[in-house]
Amino acid sequence: MTAQDKILHVASKLGLTSLKDMQASTGAVYDVDSDLSGTIFSQAARHANPGLTNINENQFEVNEALLVETVGFYVQNTNLGTVNFQRVYGSNAVIVFDLIIGNKRTMKDTPVFAAGSPYTFANSGVFADVSGEEFPTVIAPRHQVFMEGAGILIPPQVQWSVSYTIFNVVTGAIIAPTSNTKLGCYLFGTKVLLNFNTSI
Amino acid sequence: MASQPQKLAYVNAKLGAPESGQQTTRVLFSTIETPGTTSSLIFFRNFQGLTNGQTNLTQNKLDSMESMVIKTIWLAQFDAEGVLNTFGGILQQTLSIIVGNQTVVKNLPIQFNQGANGQAFDRLHENGGHIVDNNFVPLANKQIVLPVEIRLLTDIVIPPQVAFEVRIDSNAAAYGTGAVVCALAGYGKIFSAGNSF
Repeated sequence: MTAQDKILHVASKLGLTSLKDMQASTGAVYDVDSDLSGTIFSQAARHANPGLTNINENQFEVNEALLVETVGFYVQNTNLGTVNFQRVYGSNAVIVFDLIIGNKRTMKDTPVFAAGSPYTFANSGVFADVSGEEFPTVIAPRHQVFMEGAGILIPPQVQWSVSYTIFNVVTGAIIAPTSNTKLGCYLFGTKVLLNFNTSI
Repeated sequence: MASQPQKLAYVNAKLGAPESGQQTTRVLFSTIETPGTTSSLIFFRNFQGLTNGQTNLTQNKLDSMESMVIKTIWLAQFDAEGVLNTFGGILQQTLSIIVGNQTVVKNLPIQFNQGANGQAFDRLHENGGHIVDNNFVPLANKQIVLPVEIRLLTDIVIPPQVAFEVRIDSNAAAYGTGAVVCALAGYGKIFSAGNSF
């Protein structure tokens, strides 16, 4: 089943008869947990765009949808810089997250390992530090979940969020983010954009 | 080759397992604390004392309405300071997965897919996860190796409510005083009440 098939299947189940007439595209949404509340996307309406997020609210408008095929995590510091999660939290950190769409948990207790998660080694992201004498070349791992089996559709006008906790996998202790180590998340996949056709 | 959803649907139908539920991408993981030097590690057997950051299961089986396909196996070893090390040093180790009373992956060598070896079975690894600088002493946030990952060519199904475990055998490999972690990733189904309630 292709991504487009899956979108049409779910749209049919939900009674979204006009989604098939909309513009297929590729898209990504991102947001940062600037409140350190353990939830990403739910506060996006209050965030600067595009500094912290690229959405105005955590739901798509009529006839827009996203089939989530990759979930990625990163860290944003106080300067709004995007930083590799492992470089900040260390290799032993793990993000355990849920993807919630409407009132349904569609991804459950999913770990993302700072050391580099499953599926992410095709590009190890080798990071060559310019101050080579102090820190020679090290690896900057990727922190993503590739939803190879089946993407998950965020339908139009349904709120979504990502709830997470960061742990130390060695000790099991919770690691609390700070304002300089805020966790960000993006959802990437096949997008459906509103297409008026000849309506306007 | 059947896709992961097709394989899961086929096996569930054979077993008479429930086919409804929320499709998702599932990653199960389990940790063994202070493993030390041993010839046998068994993941997904003991959950006592582990937090949600060390495992996302409470028993070694999936719930009654849940099942998944294992597509890839991931292994990592950390020292007490959180530095990622090569898994079991550079000793040869083999991995077996037991589902129910059946061995479904038998004595699969893991050493080729990690660390300084650079002879990965597949093309997942850019460079076999080789050490990028032998003279550099790594820190928790200065990582110089990658965890072990082996992508399975035949997907393995974990049906609902069937016990499973992952066993690593070696000739007294040193796993250190930190922790070792095993993750199984793939496509799965999780319980969805739908309009039942």
